[in-house]
Amino acid sequence: MKLQHTLGGLEGLDPIPLETRVFVQDWEQRIFGIHTAMMALSPQLDLEATPSTFSTIWTWADLRKGAEGMNPFDYFKFRYYEKWLGGISGYFVDKGYITQEELETRTNAFLKSSSTPLPQGGDPKIDARVRKYLLIGDDPKRERTSEPRFKEGDVVQVRDPDTVDHTRLPGHLRTKVGVIDSVYEASYTYLCDTGPDGVGAAMPVYCVRFDPDVLWPANTEDNFTFYADLFEAYLDRHSAS
Amino acid sequence: MERFNYSKDRETINAARARALESLLIEKGVITSDTVDKIMTIFETEMGPFNGAKLVARAWVDPEFKKLLGEDTMAAVEKMNFVTKGAGAEGEHMRAAINTPQVHNLIICTLCSCYPWPVLGLPPYWYKDPSFRARAAREPRKVLGEFGLNVHPDKEIKTWDSSAQIRWFVVPERPDGTDGFSEEQLAALVTPEAMMGVAIVKPPGQ
Repeated sequence: MKLQHTLGGLEGLDPIPLETRVFVQDWEQRIFGIHTAMMALSPQLDLEATPSTFSTIWTWADLRKGAEGMNPFDYFKFRYYEKWLGGISGYFVDKGYITQEELETRTNAFLKSSSTPLPQGGDPKIDARVRKYLLIGDDPKRERTSEPRFKEGDVVQVRDPDTVDHTRLPGHLRTKVGVIDSVYEASYTYLCDTGPDGVGAAMPVYCVRFDPDVLWPANTEDNFTFYADLFEAYLDRHSAS
Repeated sequence: MERFNYSKDRETINAARARALESLLIEKGVITSDTVDKIMTIFETEMGPFNGAKLVARAWVDPEFKKLLGEDTMAAVEKMNFVTKGAGAEGEHMRAAINTPQVHNLIICTLCSCYPWPVLGLPPYWYKDPSFRARAAREPRKVLGEFGLNVHPDKEIKTWDSSAQIRWFVVPERPDGTDGFSEEQLAALVTPEAMMGVAIVKPPGQ
């Protein structure tokens, strides 16, 4: 079990930090922008090729895998964009775009002289593709190839698949019983194949309604309903016993 | 409370490392020297909570539009003149949860930080914080109280966890004291927090 997959309902935490800014340090915008550009330039997208040297796949799933694979204490220790900075820097080193040594040397150079300007230039086609990606996105909807197994009102039980490096199944819902609140019209792909976890290929998705008292017996609030969007691979028909 | 020890150079090192990475990526032709700035400009001017506020204001003045927004969110979004039309990264399929006198909606993402970029832009820090994601799932009333929002015990709270590829936002209730307001005046009252469900829209001047 990974803590990062099972945050929902965790007890003993502090009051919510009410920080309403999106970025709390200037550098966070830079790493956010780099991540967004990587998603836009990732070669599996059906967008016009550019002279960018970026040639490997990068999606949300890759970023999330990194965060889900962290030591859970580090996950809480590091701020949101610190996790991004670590994960993305590591990816560029692992894939051979840069070396760790280059990164350290350049980091030290900026530590000595933070006003050293960035290199200038680059092909505008790269930025045009990034803009296009932001405006049209990466639609996960696909035509249905099979009928959904469940309909509105069906009682379902959430499966308990093997834990892998990345999932879209919130841990607090594993094995729990809920009711199909709505069936989404299309089928949906996920960004990568999660193997024994079960998502990736296009499949129906449901909005499932849970009674919080089923999720956290005698340890939740009244007059409250919990909903989650779940891929069909995570659901079984509930056989009342 | 600070529970961990951090290097006192934490932010200086982070900043230098992020700059080093950007510098190397420009040099190696991965991105250009304009890429990051151009992305940030899009979020400042074209994809942001100013779009969501327009949707909410339209829903407040046009009951048919509000109905459509609840039943077929993307069809309603497409009617607006957003540069992303009925699409946009992280907004390919959005759903609106509409507050009523009986129901208060809250959006969360317990697994990460899924957020409808075309209409809300980028999420504030609290939304991404593991404490919020963990606690809002089990004790939303208490969490909303920490935001200064006390939801009446008779009002149902519905929490929507964005665990698949659908992105959610909340349509808050129109506040009193806004009769005769234009859509523009109404949109100016709508905050990102209200469109996530941790606030309501207050009457003007409050």
